[in-house]
Amino acid sequence: MPDITFVKPALPRSGALVLLLAEGAALAGLAKAAEEATGGAVSRGLEAAKFKGTKGQTCTLWAPGAGLAKIVAIGLGKADALDAQGAENAGGTALVAVQQERDAVIAADGLAPTLAASCAMGLRLRSYRFDRYRTTEKEEDKPKLERIAIASAEATKAKAAFAPMQAVADGVFLTRDLVSEPPNVLTPAEMAERCKALEKLGVEVDIIGPREMKRLGFGALLGVAQGSAQEPRMVTMKWMGAPKGKKQKPLAFIGKGVTFDTGGISIKPAGGMEDMKWDMAGAGTVIGLMAALAGRKAKADVIGMVGLVENMPSANAQRPGDVVKSYSGQTVEVINTDAEGRLVLADVMWYCQEKYDPRFMVDLATLTGAIIIALGHERAGLFSNDDNLATQVKEAGSAVGEKAWRMPLGDAYDKQLKSDIADMKNVGGRPGGSITAAQFIQRFVNGKPWAHLDIAGTAWSSKDAPTVPKGATAYGVRMLDRMVADHYEG
Amino acid sequence: MAKLHLHRSAEALRRHKARGADSALILPLMEGSAPDDPALAAAAKAARFTGKAGAALCLPGVHGFTILAGIGAGKAISDWEAGGGAGMAAAAGRAQALLLADGATPEQAAGFAAGALLNAWRFNKLRDTNKDKDAPPARVTLAVTSPAKVEPAWKRAEAALRGALYARDLVVEPGNRLNPASFAERLSALKEFGLKVEVLEGKCLAALGMGALCAVGGGAAIGPRLVVLRWPGKLKAAPVAFVGKGICFDTGGISIKPAAGMEEMRGDMAGAAAAAGAMLALALRQSRAPAVAVLALAENAIGAASYRPSDILRTFSGKTVEVLDTDAEGRLILADALAYAAQRFKPRAMIDLATLTGSIITALGHHRAGVFGNDEPLIAALMAAGEAVAEPLWPMPVDDEHREVLKSDIADLRQCAPSGSGAWGGRFLSDACHAAAFLREFAGGGAWAHLDIAGVETRDAPAPLGPKGPSGFGVRLLDHLVATRFEADA
Repeated sequence: MPDITFVKPALPRSGALVLLLAEGAALAGLAKAAEEATGGAVSRGLEAAKFKGTKGQTCTLWAPGAGLAKIVAIGLGKADALDAQGAENAGGTALVAVQQERDAVIAADGLAPTLAASCAMGLRLRSYRFDRYRTTEKEEDKPKLERIAIASAEATKAKAAFAPMQAVADGVFLTRDLVSEPPNVLTPAEMAERCKALEKLGVEVDIIGPREMKRLGFGALLGVAQGSAQEPRMVTMKWMGAPKGKKQKPLAFIGKGVTFDTGGISIKPAGGMEDMKWDMAGAGTVIGLMAALAGRKAKADVIGMVGLVENMPSANAQRPGDVVKSYSGQTVEVINTDAEGRLVLADVMWYCQEKYDPRFMVDLATLTGAIIIALGHERAGLFSNDDNLATQVKEAGSAVGEKAWRMPLGDAYDKQLKSDIADMKNVGGRPGGSITAAQFIQRFVNGKPWAHLDIAGTAWSSKDAPTVPKGATAYGVRMLDRMVADHYEG
Repeated sequence: MAKLHLHRSAEALRRHKARGADSALILPLMEGSAPDDPALAAAAKAARFTGKAGAALCLPGVHGFTILAGIGAGKAISDWEAGGGAGMAAAAGRAQALLLADGATPEQAAGFAAGALLNAWRFNKLRDTNKDKDAPPARVTLAVTSPAKVEPAWKRAEAALRGALYARDLVVEPGNRLNPASFAERLSALKEFGLKVEVLEGKCLAALGMGALCAVGGGAAIGPRLVVLRWPGKLKAAPVAFVGKGICFDTGGISIKPAAGMEEMRGDMAGAAAAAGAMLALALRQSRAPAVAVLALAENAIGAASYRPSDILRTFSGKTVEVLDTDAEGRLILADALAYAAQRFKPRAMIDLATLTGSIITALGHHRAGVFGNDEPLIAALMAAGEAVAEPLWPMPVDDEHREVLKSDIADLRQCAPSGSGAWGGRFLSDACHAAAFLREFAGGGAWAHLDIAGVETRDAPAPLGPKGPSGFGVRLLDHLVATRFEADA
């Protein structure tokens, strides 16, 4: 991962230089200096390439002179329309353009310091790689970039603006690491162990295992876990950042953490089952979110809870037809053992609201394939019993490029969960499959303000985006960090 | 449809008493209230009847044959409709029904009766009805304090009601009775209500360049039709346009459907039926708003002349479309109909209705239809109209992401994502969104909305507003939309 520094604008003598150019703007500052130092190579090149500076447009000039290996021009679109997301995307694009050089300078001298910081955030987010299991990668395939300098007229201000962003990026990276890890490594116990890394950020971490769960009566969660040789865990992470005298009820974020989901006895088709290693992305997101909040010392009291299990078929696995008693006392007829995430959440969420009486609960879960059939891969499904909370989540997501789409709830859907012999079934059939899943969870929030993000379509990406390399996206970390910052730190 | 008799209550009650248990008296009851009559009050209490909207309590032997019909809070017209419907269902087997709506506003009284008649719809043309012991009452009377005051409200409600029942009569017809020719003939009969009807077929369609409609309908023994219905209205304004998918029977074509459940495909023309029903409603109540409906009628059959996967069609718009799946035929015929309607009528707003995708059922189940579009105010108006008439919608996204998958290697676009593409062997394609993105390409630039009514066009269980079978979904919604949005002077 390259070091990112902020420097006063000065033309580098070697390596790569990235020019961020607004549409139709004349070359100025570092860009003008580069133009002069290269004897007009910049304008000649850009003109020949019909570079206009439209958003996302790029142009590479190799060996333009002045000792530089290359100059990369990146279009920002209209200067007055440039926002934080635009600057982040330019940063992400810049990273890809220079990663085979050892040193690069980004000429952000035309940008306000906060936008220069956003550009650095984009660079950082795009620079993520999960390569700890590669042993034979060829040197030429590895990124070479060691140092990247953001040139800003107000370098100190930009650096200060970047500090909290960096903490959020660290949270995103933690989530991406967890989501990328293979399931033979990242078992429930191992995942819980990794939460302890948050202690050094000031997060209180509490882990319980199956004995304590049994004592508490977590019948729904334990039913899922019983088929696996790996013991389940529940982790509670507390970040108490609200200043004294401004204490309120805590905020709560809950994540589904199925470290591998075979489907259990209702086993999944083989094709693509390897993706089920990231069926813990909801939990991974909550852990990264807690790291982000603690890392930037958010002024809010926040509880993060994750239920960690592995869903395996075995001699001891739960069967379709089993009835389990959840921690809430409500009984569930398990019709499909592959609808296990909601069973895990049921116990964790009831416990959370009972123990911490939070202002709200937001849960994240790779819950249903139906949400992908409904919305595709760009938007998570957002379900809520509280319009205000839903709006806060959705708007925070829009601000950071993590889109959510509100989906309906209602009695008609809830009825689909009716069981002949228990309080409810764990599935409501194909029609409205993600809605009935949300209805199920709603039965365990005890009327508390609540929002549910079904991230099955957004937790993993099959293609690169400017600030999100393909693979684990950490969708939700930035959104919820932003929501806390916008509404709960006042 | 049974004719409604509108009478003064005192006189109607006298006649009702004379008829004894042969006549059911249907009384509205607000939630939480008790009937004035002591015998009714005692019975309601004993039966724990709360007056919930859409619930009914049958009291044989109490003042003849009395039915309490729950109208919830007793305010919303939709609650009165639900009460009337539930009351009517409870009156099955009686010769007569008397709906008493003394204290109601004219609109509420009209709603009470409309609900009853929506419930009483049957399709008995093809069987011996003498054996039907549960036939709804043949004579239905609405008793009010002042019939003259209720009359205008009833006329409006009746128009929408008749439109809805007209649509049901079409949807219920099997494929051997309702083909593109006989469907067009039945639509031609709407002339008697003042609609102008044009039927385009054969060479005429080919000459117009309706390559998609001709291809989809080309495999059947009876070729496709394009039917245009026009209502002149009074306002000097561009018409509002309804576009309907009218696949009289859908085998899937060469991409043939599985045999199980294929009989339901007789209802694959529900979009066209709803659009026609809405036009009938506007004509019956002499709406001021000019309106047109463009209905694409075809049978998607397997034959020597069927179109094939990989065919490329030139649509009416001039755009070429690559066919991947002959069972995604609805969007093809709509492409021609939408482009034709946009070009010929330059409508103020264009709304298409189609039983388009299975994906929308996975997304929203059977309780809401999906609405897609390019115009927020139009979508909001449709949502509000749907809530008002208990045909609820939910907004769904259509975005560049969904257009992206429609890129074709050799045509302007392809009709859908290849089956088996995307994650997990294509089990989770957001086809409803893809279909909407496809239609958007043909909708012109004006305000447009698309209702995917697959899943709501047929009821699989009796409900207050209708028996099991076709629902007529969309007719009352569009009628309400026009009344609230398109009838005011510009």
